[in-house]
Amino acid sequence: MSGHVYMLLGLLSFGMLGILHKVADVKGSRPSAINALLASSSLLFVFLFVIVGTPAGLAVPPKVAWIALPFGVAASLAILAFQAGVKHGPIATSWLAINLSAGIPTVASILIYDEPVGVGKALALVLIPVSMFLLWKDKKQQEARDRAAVAQAVMDRAHE
Amino acid sequence: MSEHPARDSGIWLRLMLIAFVANGIGPFGLKILTEEGLADRYQAQYLVFWYLGAFVFAIAAFLRRTFPLYRREIWLGALMGTCSLLGQAFTGMALSHGVPGHVAFPITTGGSLFLVASAGLVLFRERVGAYGLAGLALGIMALVALSLG
Repeated sequence: MSGHVYMLLGLLSFGMLGILHKVADVKGSRPSAINALLASSSLLFVFLFVIVGTPAGLAVPPKVAWIALPFGVAASLAILAFQAGVKHGPIATSWLAINLSAGIPTVASILIYDEPVGVGKALALVLIPVSMFLLWKDKKQQEARDRAAVAQAVMDRAHE
Repeated sequence: MSEHPARDSGIWLRLMLIAFVANGIGPFGLKILTEEGLADRYQAQYLVFWYLGAFVFAIAAFLRRTFPLYRREIWLGALMGTCSLLGQAFTGMALSHGVPGHVAFPITTGGSLFLVASAGLVLFRERVGAYGLAGLALGIMALVALSLG
């Protein structure tokens, strides 16, 4: 298969993951259960891959484990908060909000490791907070519209 | 499939901010591993311990209350784990088959965002106003710009 087919499959897999977060919410699945099962299945697959597919297996310097563990915890917290948040907002904008977090390691790399800031990175770092603000503004406006509709319905019923 | 009745923009914003920050911190360990000169040899093993950290936290959060696992949660969780891994594996294979990073990353990120947003609007009949659509467009542009560097 060509690289472009793999790229398309990668796109579809990530897209499917986002859609499944919404399906889990619609089906009334609990965020903690989804998070636990997502982490379990991923751990199982990676563990089997390393045991079967790499000659060194799990024999690594302890430093590797100590670096990995807290960042894995952060990722798990992210999925838990995200799955809980999908109940309160559309997946269309929630999925964008979590993906925009790609800006954080970029900022950290610039601050900690003095990585150069190109035009693309600079533009992205300006656009990310603007985009987040617009998503929040949209959510507030949506909520105000919903409240107004409920109030109107109550008044209509009172007049009947 | 319609809007959830008990939505709250304040709760949504707080949870999304937690997800935003935590999800941003998550991948940074790989950068530290690279700077320590360990990423070439131990990237797969790093992922095992990374997922182990995720697993321990997830199990602790789950066991705070004891309740059974429902069948739908089992298959959905397993399917989501598979999609997450396949997404990363396919993107890695695209890179190793000659697709440059400045093509692969913007297309997989921007494309999957477009796919999920479309599904939200069409399949789940979510309502997104003018601000939301502008936020989506700017967000996709931001991620494409970030991938291009």
